[in-house]
Amino acid sequence: MANRVRATAVGYALLAPSLFGVVTFLLLPMLVVGWLSVHRWDLLGPVEYVGLDNWRSVLTDPSFATSLLVTALFIVIVVPTQSLLGLAAAAMLARSLPGSGFFRTLYVLPWICSPLAIAVLWRWILAPTDGAVSRLLGERIEWLTDPDLALPVVSAVTIWTNVGYVTLFFLAGILAIPTDIQDAARTDGANAWQRFRRITLPMLRPTLLFVLVTGVISAAQVFDTVYALTAGGPQGRTDLIAHRIYAEAFGAAAVGRAAVMAAVLFVLLVGVTIAQHSYFRRRITYDVV
Amino acid sequence: MTSFSRAVSAPVIYTVLAAGALITLAPFAIGLMTSFTTADQFNTGEPLSFPAPPTLQNYTGLADAGFGRALVVTALMTAVILVGQLTFSVLAAYAFARLEFPGRDALFWVYLATLMVPATVTVVPLYLLMAQAGLRNTFWALVLPFVFGSPYAIFLLREYFRGIPADLIKAARIDGANTLDVIVHVVVPASKPILVTLSLITVVSQWNSFMWPLVITSGGRWQVLTVATAGLQSRYNAQWTLVMAATTVAIVPLIVLFVALGRYIVRSIVVTGLK
Repeated sequence: MANRVRATAVGYALLAPSLFGVVTFLLLPMLVVGWLSVHRWDLLGPVEYVGLDNWRSVLTDPSFATSLLVTALFIVIVVPTQSLLGLAAAAMLARSLPGSGFFRTLYVLPWICSPLAIAVLWRWILAPTDGAVSRLLGERIEWLTDPDLALPVVSAVTIWTNVGYVTLFFLAGILAIPTDIQDAARTDGANAWQRFRRITLPMLRPTLLFVLVTGVISAAQVFDTVYALTAGGPQGRTDLIAHRIYAEAFGAAAVGRAAVMAAVLFVLLVGVTIAQHSYFRRRITYDVV
Repeated sequence: MTSFSRAVSAPVIYTVLAAGALITLAPFAIGLMTSFTTADQFNTGEPLSFPAPPTLQNYTGLADAGFGRALVVTALMTAVILVGQLTFSVLAAYAFARLEFPGRDALFWVYLATLMVPATVTVVPLYLLMAQAGLRNTFWALVLPFVFGSPYAIFLLREYFRGIPADLIKAARIDGANTLDVIVHVVVPASKPILVTLSLITVVSQWNSFMWPLVITSGGRWQVLTVATAGLQSRYNAQWTLVMAATTVAIVPLIVLFVALGRYIVRSIVVTGLK
């Protein structure tokens, strides 16, 4: 009995710091989001209860609808493109030609760098008059201020950053496929495309789901890239949801409205995560090491 | 081993891989070049020509803009968070992996559930909490939300600790070691690979963090590198040579880390799948 009490005391003593962190900085903020969403606060003055005013105003606000739409479009451009490019790169690297390891490592470089610094770098490269691209082409192109170009360009920079990272997972997935299955198919006369289509791709299903789901969750939260490249413009065309929340809270000092948007984003992301779990539970697992 | 690539010849693969390498590296290369170019040459010379002569004036300009302090603040913030996260995550993971006490499993599920909490959602309420605590624009505000450990690190460490042979721990116990001794002298030395992995991931993500430092600090006092770079870019939009020096300073420490430990970083990403 005394032993048990001791073990309990030791257990909770070891957990104490992280439990304090989890409660104060992860769980409490989730409650505060809900609480703030029914209050008005301008960052400095007193906090004032306003009922459902924030919810009403945000849910009928066209700029919030635009932001959700832009975020959805961004996800639809970025996630499939980076997955396809990553899969193609992984298929080539999986052949394990000399130097493959070098390329694999090199491609991850943009991903480990500060997204903010990367965005500033690209902002210069794409600057209309003295940017690298404009000066090389000798032609002024409004990459970041043309309403039709801005979102594709922001997406392209994001894809450029992520491809190497995605490649790593596909490469690990492909290398884990047992070679005897491929050999058996070859013996049976399957050509390269058939083997890719019928063996590699189905066996990559778990990897593919992982890459797609984590891709959606992280693309839904992109902030630094838009902040430095376009600040959400032109005309809100690149106003991704994370940037809208930031601008609402710290630009317009409408913290209650920002809390409503954060709550909506949370519900959407939890939805994605739950969908992911039900997928992963049903997936067939292979011996992925 | 993939069947698809067998159909494509090696020279074709190398060509495509090299093109990918060029697209990956070219932006860094021209940014770096520009950071060593004088403003004069940048404005009047041939576009993208080599710096002639190379100059450090942009970097000395950065020093005047307070980048020295930002570099120190960023390094300090990263170091404090790294030490705190590793220490407290190891303690918690050991409790979850190796001790039996009431409430353990329920708490572990709570920790797991917080993995679903997105950082973007907590920024606004965290700001309110920090403001109420009077901690806006302090070093504490930069580190407190992250220093007490990370549920994801705890989850990964717990898996690892469960794999440590029970005999190792029992032997230490018989020699009279208490729980802390066991953690420091048995568990930590046996877990080096996962600890290296977590350290790398923490350094990379904290060094690069931007949104939280941006909202919780103001002015030069506790400005980190990313915030300083963003500020410089919006103030001196036309002085691209200066701005490229700023991005170089923000990026280079991680590139150095990457060149030194690239293979470990790649492995760490695959192990943790992090973010």
